Amino acid sequence: MRSSKRNSELWIAFGFMMPAAILVSVLMYWPMVDTFRESLFASSFINPTPEYVGFETYRRILADPVFWQILRNSVVWTMGVVLLQNVVGFFIALLLNQQLPGQGILRSLVLLPWVLPGVVVAILWRFMYDPQLGLVNSFLMRFGAIDRGIGWLAEPSIAMAAVIFVAFWKGFPFSTVIFLAALQNVDKEQIEAAKVDGAGPVRRLIDVVIPAIAPVAAVNVLLTTILTFNYFDIIYVLTRGGPLNKTAIFPTRIYEVGFGQFRFGEAAAYGTISVLVLVLVVASLMMFRFFGYKEVRS
Amino acid sequence: MTRHAKRLRIAGLSVLQIVVAALVLLPFFWMLSVSFKPATEAFAIPAELWPRNPTLENYVLALRPEFRRYFLNSMIVSGATLAITIPLGLLAAYSLSRFQYRILSVFLAMVVLAQFFPAGAMIIPIYKIVRSAGLLDTYASLIIAYITVTLPVAIWMMRGFLMRVPRTLEEAAAIDGASPLRAFVDIVIPLARPGIVATSVFVLIVTWQEFLFALSFTSSKEMRTLPVGMNDYIGQYGVRYGELMASSVMISVPVIAVFFFLQRQFVAGLTAGAVKG
Repeated sequence: MRSSKRNSELWIAFGFMMPAAILVSVLMYWPMVDTFRESLFASSFINPTPEYVGFETYRRILADPVFWQILRNSVVWTMGVVLLQNVVGFFIALLLNQQLPGQGILRSLVLLPWVLPGVVVAILWRFMYDPQLGLVNSFLMRFGAIDRGIGWLAEPSIAMAAVIFVAFWKGFPFSTVIFLAALQNVDKEQIEAAKVDGAGPVRRLIDVVIPAIAPVAAVNVLLTTILTFNYFDIIYVLTRGGPLNKTAIFPTRIYEVGFGQFRFGEAAAYGTISVLVLVLVVASLMMFRFFGYKEVRS
Repeated sequence: MTRHAKRLRIAGLSVLQIVVAALVLLPFFWMLSVSFKPATEAFAIPAELWPRNPTLENYVLALRPEFRRYFLNSMIVSGATLAITIPLGLLAAYSLSRFQYRILSVFLAMVVLAQFFPAGAMIIPIYKIVRSAGLLDTYASLIIAYITVTLPVAIWMMRGFLMRVPRTLEEAAAIDGASPLRAFVDIVIPLARPGIVATSVFVLIVTWQEFLFALSFTSSKEMRTLPVGMNDYIGQYGVRYGELMASSVMISVPVIAVFFFLQRQFVAGLTAGAVKG
């Protein structure tokens, strides 16, 4: 009787886990390892048979100025989106946390950009940014800020800022919702106590609210960093990494090399390097003690 | 605070509310507006916010047969991914929430880590697996790829919910002679339903918009999903923004509808783990 109960417990513990464990191992862990193996071989559209070349591909990539540009772009893109999304997202959460009329509706509406498919967001903003037909230019012209349409996505010096803004627009609701939930969990008595001690709103924010939500902020920054670094849709649809590779980041480069030029070995090498870069970025976030990693989800 | 100051504060914050609402709604409203504009107005310079003579012609044009095919493909792929992810994820989540064997903690760590694997770093090997199985340009290739995106997150989310389902009920059922399997089906699943719903919404939102795998693994028009089909439209229909916006609206409606109906549960699911810690 005892042992049959124990058997059925074992059966449930392992039997239930097994299908998912096999899928995660075969479809995720194996490919992660295989990417590295793949990167040691070279093949192309003309020469489809893979040939072992060792670290030659890495040597070539590191000698290519395009790689360094992509590395720089990836850092600028990730930091820009993460900062904008979390700082603005936090202040919007503060606003939504106030007792005001219309808050219920606003709290729902604010999630809208996050729900919209990435490709739709990108197409919408392609249009918003259109030099002649776009809303952005026609607003700015109406208020006299500019006298002729700007090609936001075609101008090498501003294209990156333009794509960062779009990713911010799509992503900030996520940060806002998480921050809002955290703000609603802040101990009301502590805030009241600070009020009694004569602390103004800014003091209360700095001394009570921000320390209370710091762990959530760390989770938010970590999650958005990883998601942004790996984000493909918006840049691909808006600019394809152009103009002049000014907005190319690792995922767009991997797609271009792998499925545009069929150089799988090189794409796999870029994939391996991108994982290393991401690990470094996350590790440096942790070094800043920016890390309250307990229960995290994307 | 005096009444006057209080009123001033509310007025100031209301202005900020309007700014936030505009930031969110203006682009969205613009998409709707252009989708109802006749072609002549979509090209007006400078752009007008309201359509003068609203028309449905863009929607009629956008509903071409290939669009309906993309829609069907997206529904099949998203639906099948959901139908695989949720049961397998729920079983694994149950195991991870109830038992303490060492191998399970190893698996839990694997699941957490796997959530952060970049698709770009896995895509070449997954492409090769799919190609050697002869599955390129099929629904199966996309479903396999999408599982890598959804399964770890789904396990993680549902585990969070199951941790909060008290064990005492299962123990009581065991005393009454119910087998563990029976207790799981009759007690745990019904109690975990809000978590299952929240996770399903998340999976649907993610798979409905997935772009990189769909772009790389499908080559024929018959197999394209909505996001990839939309991306093709940019090349084919260039600046026919009215149609593009009408298609965009139609793609977005299903996710927005699901989201607004199940919003409360979904937000609870999204925030619970991250906030409670």
